[in-house]
Amino acid sequence: MHLVQLSASSAVRLAGAGAAQPASGVTSLAWLLVVLPLLGAAILLFGGRRTNRFGPALATVLSWASFGIGAVIFLAMLGRSADQRVEVLSLYSWIPAGGFQLEAGMLVDPLSMAFVLLVTFVGSLILVYSLAYMEHDPDRRRFFGFLNLFVASMLLLVLADSYLLLYVGWEGVGLASYLLIGFWNQIPANASAANKAFVANRVGDFGMSVAIMLMFATFGTVTFAGVDAGVAGANQGTLTAIGLLLLLGACSKSAQFPLQSWLGDAMAGPTPVSALIHAATMVTAGVYLVVRSHVIFEGTPTAQTFVVVAGAITLIFGAVVGCAKDDVKKVLAASTMSQIGYMMLAAGLGPVGYVFAIFHLLNHGFFKAGMFLGAGSVMHGMNDQVDMRRFGNLSGAMKITWFTFGIGWLSILGVPPFSGFFSKDKIIEAAFIGEGWRPWVFGGAALIGAAITAFYMSRLFFMTFQGEKRWPRDAHPHESPRRMTVPMIVLATGSAFLGLILGPTNAIASWLEPVTGRSPEGEPVIAVPVLMSLTLLLVAGGVALAWVQYWRDKVPVAAPAGSLLTRAARQDLYQDDVNEALLMRPGLHLTRSLVFFDSRGVDGAVGGLAALIGGTSARVRRVQNGFVRSYALTMLAGVVVILGAVWVVQ
Amino acid sequence: MTSGGEAVLFWILAPVSVLGALGLLLVRKAVHVALGMAVVMINLGIFYIAQNAEFLGIVQIVVYTGAVMMLFIFVLMLIGVDSSDSLVETIKGQKIAGLLLSTGLGVALFAAIGSATFASPIGLKEVNAGGNITGMAVLIFGKYVWAFEVTSALLITAALAAMVLAHRERLTPRPTQRQWSERRFQVGKNLAGLPAPGVYARRNAVDTPALLPDGTPSEASVPRVLTAREQVNDPEPYAGAERAIEREIEEGTNR
Amino acid sequence: MIASLSGLTTEFVATKINYGAVLPMLVVFGAAMIGVLVEAFAPRAVRYGAQVGVALVGLVAAFMAVVLAVGHQGSTLAGAVVIDGPALFLQGTILALSVLSVLAMAERFDGIGADAFTAQGAAAPGSPQESAAVRAGATTTEVFPLTMFAIGGMLLFPAAGDLLTMFVALEVLSLPLYILSGLASRRRLLSQEASLKYFLLGAFSSAFFLFGAALLFGYSGSMDLGVIAKAIGTQSGMDGLLVPGVLLVLVGLLFKIGAVPFHSWTPDVYQGAPTPVTGFMAACTKVAAFGAILRFVYVGVGDSRWDWAPALWAVAILTMVVGAVLSITQTDVKRLLAYSSIAHAGFVLTGLLAFDRVGVSSVMFYVVAYGFSTIAAFAIVSLVRDGGSEATHLSQWAGLGRTHPIVAGAFAFLLLAFAGIPLTSGFTAKFAVFSAAIGHGATPLAVVGVLASAIAAFVYVRVIVLMYFTESGGDSVRVVPPSILTSAAVTIGVAMTLVLGVVPAPLLDLASRSALFLR
Repeated sequence: MHLVQLSASSAVRLAGAGAAQPASGVTSLAWLLVVLPLLGAAILLFGGRRTNRFGPALATVLSWASFGIGAVIFLAMLGRSADQRVEVLSLYSWIPAGGFQLEAGMLVDPLSMAFVLLVTFVGSLILVYSLAYMEHDPDRRRFFGFLNLFVASMLLLVLADSYLLLYVGWEGVGLASYLLIGFWNQIPANASAANKAFVANRVGDFGMSVAIMLMFATFGTVTFAGVDAGVAGANQGTLTAIGLLLLLGACSKSAQFPLQSWLGDAMAGPTPVSALIHAATMVTAGVYLVVRSHVIFEGTPTAQTFVVVAGAITLIFGAVVGCAKDDVKKVLAASTMSQIGYMMLAAGLGPVGYVFAIFHLLNHGFFKAGMFLGAGSVMHGMNDQVDMRRFGNLSGAMKITWFTFGIGWLSILGVPPFSGFFSKDKIIEAAFIGEGWRPWVFGGAALIGAAITAFYMSRLFFMTFQGEKRWPRDAHPHESPRRMTVPMIVLATGSAFLGLILGPTNAIASWLEPVTGRSPEGEPVIAVPVLMSLTLLLVAGGVALAWVQYWRDKVPVAAPAGSLLTRAARQDLYQDDVNEALLMRPGLHLTRSLVFFDSRGVDGAVGGLAALIGGTSARVRRVQNGFVRSYALTMLAGVVVILGAVWVVQ
Repeated sequence: MTSGGEAVLFWILAPVSVLGALGLLLVRKAVHVALGMAVVMINLGIFYIAQNAEFLGIVQIVVYTGAVMMLFIFVLMLIGVDSSDSLVETIKGQKIAGLLLSTGLGVALFAAIGSATFASPIGLKEVNAGGNITGMAVLIFGKYVWAFEVTSALLITAALAAMVLAHRERLTPRPTQRQWSERRFQVGKNLAGLPAPGVYARRNAVDTPALLPDGTPSEASVPRVLTAREQVNDPEPYAGAERAIEREIEEGTNR
Repeated sequence: MIASLSGLTTEFVATKINYGAVLPMLVVFGAAMIGVLVEAFAPRAVRYGAQVGVALVGLVAAFMAVVLAVGHQGSTLAGAVVIDGPALFLQGTILALSVLSVLAMAERFDGIGADAFTAQGAAAPGSPQESAAVRAGATTTEVFPLTMFAIGGMLLFPAAGDLLTMFVALEVLSLPLYILSGLASRRRLLSQEASLKYFLLGAFSSAFFLFGAALLFGYSGSMDLGVIAKAIGTQSGMDGLLVPGVLLVLVGLLFKIGAVPFHSWTPDVYQGAPTPVTGFMAACTKVAAFGAILRFVYVGVGDSRWDWAPALWAVAILTMVVGAVLSITQTDVKRLLAYSSIAHAGFVLTGLLAFDRVGVSSVMFYVVAYGFSTIAAFAIVSLVRDGGSEATHLSQWAGLGRTHPIVAGAFAFLLLAFAGIPLTSGFTAKFAVFSAAIGHGATPLAVVGVLASAIAAFVYVRVIVLMYFTESGGDSVRVVPPSILTSAAVTIGVAMTLVLGVVPAPLLDLASRSALFLR
C-alpha cells in the first residue's frame, strides 16, 4: 500500500509541480517581508530610550506593513496559473566555501505564502493587543523589539529556499522565544523556564545541523530543490537518518514527544507571546519542516512512521496533561501540544495528510491565538490570576471575551460549522486510511484524542466562564479595552469562518497542490459518515462529562488529591524526571569523570577509581591540583599512548 | 662504520654520561646537580670530537661546560642557595606513573629507531673535505642564514626578558652618606651605625655576631639575610675559647 | 645536511633573498628592535607613547608589506621561507589580529602605564619595592617590543619551509609569551605561576618537537619539508622513523594550539596571564600554530597520513569533547574561555583533517573568525572590575546585562558566535570546517563536532542567562569606561564577528583562493 502511494504521489508531484522560476514583479519585493520587522527590531533594541515613546507603535506598523506586502504578493500569486506559482528570489551568495556554493534566496510558493499571511496577520493583531496589554510595563520597548525580531526570523524560516537559511530563521525564532519566555526575568522560575526551552531547542538544533551536514554530504547541496531532486538516487539508510534527524529538530521546536516538556514552562512569558509564538506560529515550524521535506519523508517510510508515532503519542499525551492542569495557560499549552500532535500525525501520513496538516495549522493559529488572547484578557481582569479554580461565571463580567473564547472553544472541539471541524475531522478520516494495524491504531488515537480534547477544553471553558463565582475577594473582573478586544474579535471571526471558506470549497487543497502534490483519494476503513457521527458523538460525550463535573457540580477551590493518573498528569506525566534520569544524570557523570581524568591524568589511577565512584565535588576539586609536574605527566601519557597505539596498529 | 677505538670510548663514556644524567635527577644538592650536568656536557663534547665534529665538540665544552655551567655554579655560590630541595613527592602515584611512562616512551622510541635499517653513512671525512669549520659556515651563512638571523631575535628577547624579570630600576636617587646619618639621628637609633660582626681570635666572618657588654650575641651585628636563612653562627665556642685564653693568661701572670 | 654539505666544498655562494617576500617579518623585527632602543634611551615619560606608536606603525606597515608580498610569492632563502597563499593569508591575519591585541594591551584607563601590566616585573608581589614602583610611575613598556618579537616569530611560523626554521620560529614566538604571561599587574603570584608553568611545559613540548625533527631528519636526510615529502614512499627500510617522527613534531605543534591531551597548561596560563595577553595568545598563537600544522601536514608528511591520521582524529575528538564538557564546570570567565578555546582548536582540527584544499581554506577562515571574536571577548573581560581587580568569577557577572547593557550585549553576542549561532562568524566558520570534513570522509568528526558545539552552547547560554536573568550579587562590580583603544578593539572584533556571519563571501573567497600550498 505504501509503495503504491509513494509512486502515485511522486508521479503526481512530477506532473503537478512546475519548476521554480526566478522571482519577478512584486514577488521580488519578498525580501522586504523580512527586512521591515528586522529594521523595527534593530531600531527598538539599539535605539535606546529615545525610542521608548514611538517604538511600540512603530513595531506594530512595520509588522502590518509586512502583512501588506505579503497580501500583495499573495494576490499576485493568485493571478497566476498553478504551475507558475513557485518562485525563487535569490538575494546574494552567502557561503561560497570551496566547491560548495550557497546562495541565500527566498522560496515564494503557496506553502510559504500561507505561512507568511498567518504569521504577519496573527502577529500584527497580537502586536496591537500587546499595545494595551503591555501598556504599563517599563520594558515595553524591549518586548516589542523582541516580537519584531521574532516575526522577522519566522518569516525568514518559512521563506528560506534552503535548509541552511531555514536553520538561520530556526535559530532566530528560538532565540526570540527564549528571550521572551525570560522577559520577566525578575522571577527566577521564568529564567529557568527560558533555560529549559533553550536546552530542548539545542537538542533539536543538533538534529537539524547534523541533518544539514548529511544532506550536504549526500546531495552536495542543501537547497530544497536540490535535495528533492537528489532523493530518488540516495540510499535508504541515509534518507532515514536525515529524516529522523529532521524529525528530532521538528519535535524540539514543536514540543512533540519526547521533547515536549519545555512548552508548559514556556507559559512563563507574557500572554501575547504565548499566543503568537507558543501557539500560533513558532511551535508549528516543526510541521512546516516535515511538510516542506515531504519528498525526503516519502523516500523513507521508517522515518515517516516515526513522525506519525510521535504525533499520535503527543496528541494523547497533551490531552491527558490538559485534563489535570488548573493553570489556564498551561491547559492551553497542553492543548497546543496535542493539536500539533494532530498536525504531525497528518504530516506523517503522507500525501493524504499534508493539506490537512497545514489546514489545521492555519485554523489552529486562529482559534488558539484567540483563546490565548482571551485567557490574557481574563487574567487582565482578574489581577493576573491564572488558577481556573478561582474563576467561574465570568461570562457576565466579560461578554466579548466570553463570546470570542466560546467560538474558539467550539472550533477546537470540531463542532460544525466552525473551522476546526473541517480540518480535524479530515485528519481523523485520513488517519483511518490504510491497511493492517496502522489505521486502527493511529485513527483510534486521533478519535480518542478528540474525545479527551472535548472534555478538557469544555472543562476549561466551564470552569472559567460558567458555574458559580469562585473569585478571590479583591477581584473585580471587567472587560478589557478595545485594543485588546478587537484582535480577539478578528481572530474569533477567523475561527468561525476560515474553515468554511477554505475547506468545503477545496480551496486549500488546490492552493497547496503545486507544493505537496494532489492528495490521492483513499477510503477510510470505517465509512466516512459513520466516522463523522462517531467523532461528534464522542465530542458530545466529552462535553457532557465536563458539564456534569464542572458546571452542574460545585468545583472546589482547592484541587482535590485526585487519582494516580491525575497526579501524574499534573506533573506532566513525570516528563521532567524522565529527562533528568535519561539525559542530565549521565551528562553529569560524564562531566565529572572528564574533570577527574583531566586534572588527575593517569597519575592517580588507583585513588582515582574511588573518586570516580564517590564523585563528590569536593574530591574532584581536590584533585585539580594545578601542579606543573602532573600536567607534564599528562602530556607524556598522551605521547606514549599515541605512539603506542600507532605502533600497535602497524 | 664505527672504529674500534671509538667503540671503546663510547662504551666507557656512555655509561658515565648516563650516570651523570641520572645524578642530575636524583641528588639533592644544587651544586652536585650542576656538576652532574657538567659531566654530561663534557661527555657529549667528547662524543662530538670522536665523531670528527671538532668544532661542535669544542664549542660544546667551552659554551656549556665552561660558560653556562660555571655561571650557574657561581650564582649558586654567590647567593648561597645550597639548601637541598625536598624530593618528597606529594602527588600519589606521580613517581611510579612517571617512571612507567618514561619507560614506555623509551621503549616506543627504541622500537622505532631499532626497526630502521640505516644506509651506510657517507662518513664525516668526506663531508669535512673542505674543512669542518668551513662546512659549518657554509651551512650557517648559506642555507640556514634566516634561522641564524632570527635566532638573534631570540637572544634579544632573552636579554630583554632578563631585564624585565630581574632588573630593578632605581626609582629614587641613592641616599648619600650624609643623608643616612641624618636619618639615623632623626630616628634616634643606632646613632653610630650598626655594630660590626664579632671579631674573635679564631673567627672574624660576617656570620658570627658580636657580643653585647652583657655577653649575649647582638643580632644587629649580622646581616639580616643570614639571619633569615638561619645561617648565623653561634659565637659561644669562639667566645668560650677566648675566655679560656684569658684565663690561661691570668693563670700565667699569677704563676 | 650531509647531502648538501658534500657538494659545497668549493665556493661559498650566498643564499638568494627575496626581500619583497620577507619584508613583513623584517618590518616587524625592525619595529621590535626600535622598541628595544626606545626602552634603552628614551626618558620614561615618553616611552609609553613611543612604544605604542612604534608597534602600531610597525604592524600596519608590515600588513602593507604582506599585501605587496603577494607579488613576490615563492620559496626564498634556500627554501627556509616559503611565501605562498596560505602563508600570506595567515600572516595578514596575524598582523590584523595583532593590531587589535596591541590596542587592548595599550589600554591604560586613568593610569600612566598600560593597565594590564605590572609596574615592575622584578619587584616581589606585594613588596614595598612594588608599591614604590607604582608610586614612582614605573611602567613595563618592554611588553611592546616583546609582543613584536612574538609577532615576528608568528609570521615566520606558518611560512617556515624546513623544520629547523620552524623550530626557531616556535621559540621566537614562545619566549616573549612566557615573559608576557608573568607580567600581570594584579594577582601577580598567579601570573608568575602561569608564566613558569607555560615555560616549563613549553620547553617540554619543544623537546618533543626536536626529537621528532631529528627522527624525520634521520628518515629523509633533510630538514626540508619538500625533501621529506619526496622521501615518503621512496625511502625504504626506515619507515619506523617516519611515523614516530611525524607524531612527535605534531605533539610540539599541538601543544601550542592547546589540543587534548597537551592542553593542561591552557586554563592556568589563560587565567594567570594579563587579560589582553591572553586574548593575544588565544588568537594569534592559534593562527600561527595552525598555519604551521597545515604546512607540516599538507606540504611535508601528507602522503603518509594513513599511518598517523587516526591519532590526529583521536586528538581532535578528545579536544572537542574535553574542551566542551569541561567548560561546563568552570566558574571563572577566563578559564571558561580557555576551555572554549580548547574546544575550538578541536573544531579547527576537524577541518584540517579533511586533507583537501577546502580543508585549508576552512581552517584559515575559522582562525580569522575565532581570532576576532576572542580578542574582543578578552578585552571585554578586562573591563569588568570589582574594586581594582578584574571580576573574573562568574558570579560577579550576574546581572551585568541590566547594569551595563552595551558591554553585556557585546559579550553575549560574542558568546553566541562561539556557540555557532547563525549570522555570526562562528556559524560560518563551523559550517566551513564541518562541511569540509564531511565532504572528505571525516563525517564522524563532524558529528562529534556538532555534538560538542551543542554542549558548549549550553555553557555560553548559561553565562548569558547569568548576565541577563540573574540578580546581581552586589553593586561593587562595574565596567570601567574604556578609552578609545579598547573600544576600538572591541568594536572591530564584534563588527568582524557580525560581518563574517552575514557576508562571509569575500573572506571565504580569499581563503579559498589562497589555499594552495607551494610545494
